Amino acid sequence: MSSGNSPVKLSSEFDIHVRFANPPADLRAAISRTKSSLFSGKFERLVLGRGSADADLLKDARTLVSLELSLAAGSLVRSIAEETNQPIEAKSDANSTLGLFRGLATFEQLWYDYEGTKYTLQGGAEINDGPSFPYRGFSFDTARNFYPVSDILRTVDAMSWVKLSVLYWHIIDSQSFPLQVAAFPELSEKGAYSASEIYTQDDVRRIVQYANERGIDVVMELDSPGHTTAIGAAHPELIACASKSPWSKYASEPPAGQLRIASPNTLAFAKTFFDSVASALPGTMMSSGGDEVNLPCWEEDEETQADLTQRNMTIADALNQFVGTVQGVIAAHGKTPFIKSDMVLTHNVAVLNDTVVVVWQTSEDAAAVAERNLRFIHQPSNYFYLVHMTSYECILLRSIRESHSGTAPTRARRFVHAQYWLLSLWHLLRSPVRASQMPLWSEQSSPENLDSIVWPRLAAAAEVFWTGATLPDGTQRVGENATSGTRALARLNELRYRLVDRGVQAIALQPKWCVLRPGECDLDS
Amino acid sequence: MRFVVAFLAFAPLGEVFGLWPIPRSLQIGTTALKLAPNFDIHVNVQHAPSDLSDAVSRTKSHLKNDKLGRLVVGRGSLDSPAIQHAKSLASLKVSLSKGATVRSITEEARLDIETRSEGYSLTIPADGSAAILSANSTLGLYRGLTTFEQLWYQWSGNLYTIEAPITITDSPAYPWRGFMLDTSRNFFPVSDIKRTLDAMSMVKMSQFHWHVSDSQSFPLEVPGYMELASKGAYDPSMIYSPSDVKDIVDYAGARGIDVVAEIDTPGHTSIISAAHPEHIACPVATPWSDFAAEPPSGQLRLASASTTNFTAGLFSAVAKMFPSTILSTGGDEVNANCYEQDVETQADLKAAGRTIEQALDVFTQKTHGAIIAEGKTPAVWEEMVLDHNITLSNNTIVLVWISSANAAAVAKKNFRLVHGPSDYFYLDCGAGEWIGKTAGSNSWCDPFKSWQKAYTFNPQANISESQAHLVLGGEQLLWAEQSGPENLDSIVWPRAATSAEVFWSGPGGNASEALSRLHDVAFRMRQRGIRAIQLQPMWCALRPGACNIDS
Repeated sequence: MSSGNSPVKLSSEFDIHVRFANPPADLRAAISRTKSSLFSGKFERLVLGRGSADADLLKDARTLVSLELSLAAGSLVRSIAEETNQPIEAKSDANSTLGLFRGLATFEQLWYDYEGTKYTLQGGAEINDGPSFPYRGFSFDTARNFYPVSDILRTVDAMSWVKLSVLYWHIIDSQSFPLQVAAFPELSEKGAYSASEIYTQDDVRRIVQYANERGIDVVMELDSPGHTTAIGAAHPELIACASKSPWSKYASEPPAGQLRIASPNTLAFAKTFFDSVASALPGTMMSSGGDEVNLPCWEEDEETQADLTQRNMTIADALNQFVGTVQGVIAAHGKTPFIKSDMVLTHNVAVLNDTVVVVWQTSEDAAAVAERNLRFIHQPSNYFYLVHMTSYECILLRSIRESHSGTAPTRARRFVHAQYWLLSLWHLLRSPVRASQMPLWSEQSSPENLDSIVWPRLAAAAEVFWTGATLPDGTQRVGENATSGTRALARLNELRYRLVDRGVQAIALQPKWCVLRPGECDLDS
Repeated sequence: MRFVVAFLAFAPLGEVFGLWPIPRSLQIGTTALKLAPNFDIHVNVQHAPSDLSDAVSRTKSHLKNDKLGRLVVGRGSLDSPAIQHAKSLASLKVSLSKGATVRSITEEARLDIETRSEGYSLTIPADGSAAILSANSTLGLYRGLTTFEQLWYQWSGNLYTIEAPITITDSPAYPWRGFMLDTSRNFFPVSDIKRTLDAMSMVKMSQFHWHVSDSQSFPLEVPGYMELASKGAYDPSMIYSPSDVKDIVDYAGARGIDVVAEIDTPGHTSIISAAHPEHIACPVATPWSDFAAEPPSGQLRLASASTTNFTAGLFSAVAKMFPSTILSTGGDEVNANCYEQDVETQADLKAAGRTIEQALDVFTQKTHGAIIAEGKTPAVWEEMVLDHNITLSNNTIVLVWISSANAAAVAKKNFRLVHGPSDYFYLDCGAGEWIGKTAGSNSWCDPFKSWQKAYTFNPQANISESQAHLVLGGEQLLWAEQSGPENLDSIVWPRAATSAEVFWSGPGGNASEALSRLHDVAFRMRQRGIRAIQLQPMWCALRPGACNIDS
């Protein structure tokens, strides 16, 4: 990037022209969204006096009448959605409609409003851009508490503004089963919190399509064989230790309940279940979850024990067979299977060679996964979790780390500060793996605090994933000044105000006094 | 007046649903009772004040619109047979005890804090005969109405309880059950404040402590001092006009809430320099950390006679805007270095032959004198009695914030106190440091103060029996460096309801018992448009106790 310094206004006739034949419909829709947000945006520059501070500069500013979109000669013209659904390694953010879409997101961020005039002070800037990580994800739990479709769509919009590329949708869990499955409609009929808290097949199609048109791939996680109690509402025969007490002996959080992995019935169910869901999803990735399976649950389950005896198997054998079965279905649909790291590291389950492992317990597990020659995604709880950490959970986290038992009694949680992000991911940036995601687990979240708990913190992660270790001026991101109000914090403040301007309830990072005076609230100023 | 410290006893009550705070005496049955289609509330009060009539109308509207299903699996479906055969309640009769003076709720809520009457009794027979609500004041009746509203659930068009007959005799353990909002670090529109007052009234809170100004912005328009807001507000749209203030205090009063304004002085006043640079020492001095607890630095020139008169005049004018009998002059985090480096202050001190501490004493006596002259009681932050040796009138109210451990020291000095300790009640803790270049440190008061932590607070800890009467109550507080309209509801509710129960019902409640009731009030808040957060997965909310650590 070479920055410009000339004030430029948008002409009232400003338009965006596509300079290649047959632009796809989703690109045309994206262009029209960009134009509409440029003209309806009310965001004024964050300086004392806001827009009025620039009034003089605008008098003699040149006017921009058009933005021309082109692809390099010979580029294949595909829709943004098609580009988004390419395999992750083959995804192209350059010379593609997807690249143009990323560029439009950048273009939108250059403009301010002052009394209806849209202007930038960056005239003359040249930007050459591309992502550091192709997989830039947000993992979203819609099972502990439910979120209406409109909340998910708004989240997808905001994700696209910061160039995130994957929505990892943890759609079901032990508490509720909101996913309507074509082959088993009874699962959501009986397992959802209520009839109004279901994602119908149409809802899923709509969300996936909406996301794909915004450069976001949807990786659906059907967490199994643990985290499945809610399946028991419709199919009690499939679930071991359902809501068994004390829950803490049989699960990492209430209610207890896991699929009876040793039962041929369950295997047949799982096959049809994964097949039914996978066939409705266009993406090339799908997850079977697999975290926190609990051995006493199966050890004390008569049916499971009888099945094991009859089939002369151990729990480990049954687990291998279960994972092999569901991975086989995922692979048969041409999708890359994802799995949670404890399946591989704690339970030594055999997985397909192209499996992607989601490292979630601690960042230190990444090396162990790499040793097994498996690809992985960073989602370590010690950096990435968006939920608050109460003192109780803090103690738990410490004990997990100290004992390093590998079988965490519960999900460790840590509240991550926006600024923390910009400094503490150094090891990540040096890692050869270019895939990360930040999760929101919803035990204490719901539509009421979705925006405020996610934004703008997720945007800090999105920058780490996109920009990588080096800033456009060649300096390292990680340095003593990284979180100065004149640097990353200033841009994050600006992004937060833009999010609010567009209806996302992102929280304030500082008093407005500080926001309008970049750097004056630094520790040493 | 002395406050009886009651410890909650739940054992004989069995299951208790949506009541928050839990009444101090409560008997319930197991009979279903529904509201008759023509249910009405009859007020038998001579010359009933209009705010009582309005409160009754709101209660009827809440009954109609809450549409809250009982928090059990299947919601109301399991109650359906019982509802079918239930008797119908046609009337709630509301009356004052014989000889009680009839005043408006608003007047009652603004009485001297130790003389208010908030008790009530409520009887709901199981046989469909009229329910009776009585009290010694309209304020007590209002508290009883908020209890009545929490008893009813909806299932297929019926409003019902399964706990009739119900007999409640209730009154608060402490009169100060508050919430503090900082509207200076970031601004909150009037509509946000009103919604907050609605939520506060649902849980019988009595005090809205409004930290209206600080160093970052001065959003309050004060007649005679209009330049403070016109130059010190963030934006012309981020100002509370005198009519906004009247709107807010009237809205609060009608809901049984007294509004205690705070103009924090002599520290936390940097932004006054936008209009009056002559009154502020070390405005926006660098490095700020040498001159203030947070940027920007700047304090009133407490040794200057002109500044002292200006500030006293300001308090007289503010006192006229707020009908409460209490007004806070703040007084936290006064920075000595700021005054030591300020040439004008040093000259003033020298001329008067005073130390900074002596000047603070003179300054405070003058500002407090102005407040007392307006017939009001001053309130101050704890440093004014624990760190400085200044003369305060005996009835000054002291707000404890630094640590819960400091309350005992305040009581020893024989001052009345309000608990707002950062280690229990600060709602902003745990979100990370907001100062730039801090390498992502934790917030100074980490960790996050969960509702469970707040619920364990004991207002009488380390306070002797003879000083127990000095404890007026307490409040949870939202400092707004990292808050704004975007997260107001989600960071405050339902957590701030915790202290409302601690100070109404008295300490000693069992958090695992309380959880299902707190879920209930949070669900009811959401039905009324307050974006209270979920405390657990809904699976747990529908199965009280099933997600306890030992279940």
